[in-house]
Amino acid sequence: MNGARILALTTRIMQQIVRDRRTLALVFLGPLLVMSILYVVLTGSSGSVPTLALVRPTGAGSETLNTLIDRLLPPGSRLKTITILPDEVETVLNKGEADAALIFPSDLATRLARGEHPTLQLVLEGSDPSVASAMRETVTALVGQLNVALAQAQSQRGQAQGQLPPVNAPAAPLLTLATPRYLHGGPDYTFNDALAPVFIGVLSFFFVFLLTSVAFLRERSQGTIERVLASPLRRGELVMGYVCGFTLFALVQSVVVLLFVIFVLRVHYQGNLGLVFLVAILLTVSGVNMGIFLSTFAQNEFQIIQFIPLVFGLQVLLSGIFWPVAQLPSWLQPLSYLLPLTYANEALRDVMLKGSDFTQIAPQLAALLAFMLLMIGLSALTVRRQVA
Amino acid sequence: MAESSRTGSNSRAPGVGEPLVVCEEVVKVFGKLRVLDGLNLTIGAGETFGLVGPNGSGKTTLMRILAGLVRPTAGSVRVLGRRMPDPAIAASIGYMTQLSALYLDLTARENLRFFCSIYGLRGREREQRINEILERVELSASADRVVGTFSGGMRQRLSLACALVHRPRLALLDEPTVGVDPELRRAFWDYFAQLNREGTTIVVSTHHLDEAARCSRLGLLRFGKLLACGTPQELLAEAGTNDMETAFLHYAARERRKEVTA
Repeated sequence: MNGARILALTTRIMQQIVRDRRTLALVFLGPLLVMSILYVVLTGSSGSVPTLALVRPTGAGSETLNTLIDRLLPPGSRLKTITILPDEVETVLNKGEADAALIFPSDLATRLARGEHPTLQLVLEGSDPSVASAMRETVTALVGQLNVALAQAQSQRGQAQGQLPPVNAPAAPLLTLATPRYLHGGPDYTFNDALAPVFIGVLSFFFVFLLTSVAFLRERSQGTIERVLASPLRRGELVMGYVCGFTLFALVQSVVVLLFVIFVLRVHYQGNLGLVFLVAILLTVSGVNMGIFLSTFAQNEFQIIQFIPLVFGLQVLLSGIFWPVAQLPSWLQPLSYLLPLTYANEALRDVMLKGSDFTQIAPQLAALLAFMLLMIGLSALTVRRQVA
Repeated sequence: MAESSRTGSNSRAPGVGEPLVVCEEVVKVFGKLRVLDGLNLTIGAGETFGLVGPNGSGKTTLMRILAGLVRPTAGSVRVLGRRMPDPAIAASIGYMTQLSALYLDLTARENLRFFCSIYGLRGREREQRINEILERVELSASADRVVGTFSGGMRQRLSLACALVHRPRLALLDEPTVGVDPELRRAFWDYFAQLNREGTTIVVSTHHLDEAARCSRLGLLRFGKLLACGTPQELLAEAGTNDMETAFLHYAARERRKEVTA
C-alpha cells in the first residue's frame, strides 16, 4: 500500500464529486427535503393497536373498583389491556409486551374510603413517540372518567346513608395522575425523533452506493480503468482510494444531515454522536464496496438504477425502519437479520433514543463489521477480475 | 517543444539493439476466440515498431498483454527483461488506450496530475513535468478547462500526454491517430520521432498504412499471427511493390496459400 497513490485517487474522486454540481446538490439537499417532508407528514401519526398494562388494586374492596375500571376502558379495538404485577412493569415494557403501564395503589379501595386522594402512576415505554402520546391521552381520559364515576358512587352512597351531599361538588378529583414516567425518550418526542437516527445511516449508505457504482462503471466505460490498472497502482490501493474518497464525502453528508435534524428540525437525541458516526462509517465503507461489486454487473447507468429497489427497497421494508422486525411474518424475519440496515437501525436507535453505549451496541457493530468485510472481499475480487 | 532528458530511475536501460520486448509462441484465447495464435515477436530498444493489421487482428490484445493488463493463455512475454504481467515494471511503461480514456469531469491539468501521482511523481517535479508535456501537445492554453468541453483532437492529444507524462521507457500507443485530422497526425508522428530520438522505445498500432513508412520496423498482424516482420523497405522489396497496401495483401495471400497446403 502506497499512501501517496491512495491520496491521488482520493483527491481525484473528491474533485470529481465537487465538479458535478447537480449531483452535489441532490446529495446534500435531497435528504434535507425528504426529512422535512417526513417531519410534516409523520408528526403525530399512530400505528397499530396499543397495549396498556394494568397494575390493579388488590386490597380489600377492590373488586368493585376493578369492575368499574374494566367498564370504563375503551373497546378492545382501540386499546388492548393486560394485567401485570407491580414488579413486572419494566420487564413487560422493555420486552415490548405493552406500550405503557398504569399503576394503581394496591390499597386503593381502603384509601378512598378513608377520604384520601391517591395518586396513580403512568409509565410509558416511550421509544415510539406517537404511541406514547396516544397512550398519555387515553390514560388521562380514563382517569377523568374514573373520577366522575367514583364521585357519583360516593354521593349516592352518602345519600343512602342519610348524610348531606357535600356543599360544593368535590373540589379536588379523588384520583390524581402523577406526571408520567418515560422509560425512554420523553414527552417532547415525536415520530421523527425515532426516524431521524435511522435516516442518517440509510442516506449515507444509499448515496455512497449509488455514487460509487456509477463512478466505477464510468471508469470502465471510459476506459480509464485500463490506464489505472496499467499503472503501478495496486488493486488494493484502488479499492482503498475509492473507500477514502467516498467515505470522507459521506461523513460530510452525515454531519450535514445530523446538524439539520438536531438544530433545524429540533429532533431529540441522547447518547454518543461518535457512535452514530462509527455506524455511519461502517455502513459507508460497505456501501462503497457494494457499489464497486455490483457495478460490474451493470452495463450502463440505467442498470445501476435497477439495483435500487432490489438493494434498497428490500432493506428499507425489512430492516425495521418503519415497523418493527418482530411484526414481520416469522418466515421473513431471518431475512431481516441478513440485512446490514437492520443492525444499523437497531444500533442508531439504541444510541440516539436510549443513550446506549459502545458495549450495548457491540453485537450490532460486529454484524455491520462482518458485512463490511464481506463487501470489501467481494469488491477486491471484482477488481481482480478486471484483468483476465 | 523540448523534451527534457530522462531521469535516473530508468538508468538500467539495455543497450540499443538489445531486445526490449520478446514474445514467444504467445496464445490468447477469449472464450472460443483465439485472438493471438502462436505469435513470435522481438522488439529492440530504441525502435519505433509499427503493428499493422485489420480490425480484430489482435493488435489491442497484444498491446494489453505488453501493458501487463492481460495474462497470455500460453507462451511467454518478456518486457524489459521481466516476464509479464509484472507490476514491478509498470512505471516504465506508458499505455495509450484506443479510447481517449480520460476523466471528462476534470480539467486537463487535473487529469495529468492524477496520472502523474499514481506513477509516483510529486510536488514541483510533477507540476514542472505537467507544464512541459502540456506545452508539448499544445494544450497549455486549455490546461484548466474541463475535458468534457474538449474536441476529439484535443482529447487525443491529452490522452497521449497522460500516457507519456511519467517519461516511460516503453510507450505502447494503441491507434493513437484514429479520428485525428491529417495535420495533427503529422504532428503526432513528428513527436513520436523526437521521443524515439530521446531514447523511448515506441510500439504503435495503426491501420493507416501510410503511417507505417515512418516506423523503423513493422509487424503485419492478421488473425493473431505475424504475417511478416521487417523494415518498411524490406517488406516492400520482398513483396515487389512500392505500396504498403499491396504489400499487406501480398503477405495475406501468401499466408492463405500456406494454410491451404498445410
